[in-house]
Amino acid sequence: MSVLTVLPDDERVRVKPGETILGALTASGYGCRVGCRRGGCGVCKVDLRSGTVHYAVNVSKEVLTEDEVAHGTVLACRAVPDSDVTIELRDERLKLTSSLLRSFRAVPATITDPATITKE
Amino acid sequence: MGVLRMGYAHVRVTDLAEAKKHYTYTLGMKVTAEDGNKVYLKGWDEWDHHSVVIEEGGVGVVKFGFKVEKLEDLARFEKQGQAFGDCIVERMSKGDNLEVGDGVRFTTPGEHVIEVYHDMSSVGNEVGFHNPEAWPRHQEGVAVPAIDHALVVCQDPTLSESFFREVLDFYPTERVQPELESKECMATWLSAGQKIHDIAILGGPVQGKLHHFAFQLEDWSAVLKAADIFSMDDVSIDIGPTRHGITRGETIYFFDPSGNRNEVFAGGYRAYPDRPCVVWTPDQLGKGIFYHDRKLNEAFTSVWT
Repeated sequence: MSVLTVLPDDERVRVKPGETILGALTASGYGCRVGCRRGGCGVCKVDLRSGTVHYAVNVSKEVLTEDEVAHGTVLACRAVPDSDVTIELRDERLKLTSSLLRSFRAVPATITDPATITKE
Repeated sequence: MGVLRMGYAHVRVTDLAEAKKHYTYTLGMKVTAEDGNKVYLKGWDEWDHHSVVIEEGGVGVVKFGFKVEKLEDLARFEKQGQAFGDCIVERMSKGDNLEVGDGVRFTTPGEHVIEVYHDMSSVGNEVGFHNPEAWPRHQEGVAVPAIDHALVVCQDPTLSESFFREVLDFYPTERVQPELESKECMATWLSAGQKIHDIAILGGPVQGKLHHFAFQLEDWSAVLKAADIFSMDDVSIDIGPTRHGITRGETIYFFDPSGNRNEVFAGGYRAYPDRPCVVWTPDQLGKGIFYHDRKLNEAFTSVWT
């Protein structure tokens, strides 16, 4: 289980092994801009700010160019986090689509942030 | 009469095995040939060798084929293409496409490749032509009978519409226009015969793109059953089941595993060249595209391959 942090809202979401960024967001009751959800249209591009991802399926180089990969662009619908990752949405805020789903997947408190520990 | 129907859609896919599973197991097409990185498929009620070609490597459309009724149609369309000017016209030879005869290849002003041909090997449909049953008893998935039409995206839909009208003798059945009296259009639906559309063109910031290609279904209940199967197979649904105001067709938009948009389409009224062309204005476009929601989703005007 790793942690996905989504900027600019700084929301934290649990990611199960093998789950895509979009899959983790959806399962946690969040939504962001998506198109085909199959890696073909590029509408769900976001910027990777920390961590690494891999793709379990082929993604067309026309959709996600090598240059984009080098500069940290990832397809939210297909990218699978390798460990804790931080992404930043482009011209968009994270939408809460289901508070119920969010409550089912407790958001982990960050242990790297002493302020959080003090508060609790 | 010229163009009979859309004969084939040739699309690129990122994973041939996954795509093959989608078009066979989920949609119920049959594989008629496999050749290197290409798979050829047909629906159960189609008699020509194939109607869909999937090719591994990338996404989007390679080309479309339209079958003509008479051999002499090819020379006429070739002449009309040369007279139109704003397109590339090339001869294509038997064997350029598996099981397809000589033809003419056009690159439209919207940078879509359109091939017209007269001959494709006939392999028969699945119920035969002698005292046939109504449908094949053993079917897979949605069991699409046949391909129906495609919607393509380009920067100047009015010019691409002119290509289909002047070169291939299509006529518009419905148009989205800035004003009721406008000559230009933002989108157009064109028929070559009596189907409500064989090709449609949507204006956008890109050239040569595929919005979707569609399969015919018999009726609303078949569309609803298709939706059940898409849930069983975790197919990514864009919208539907719903109805289009434009064409009156019943529909689901969904995506193949590479993100190419497909549609299952039923209904639609019968088209005639003398029927007044239906005009939609932008303020009613939401209802025109999705008759029940009455609003466009963002994906309709931004998602293509």
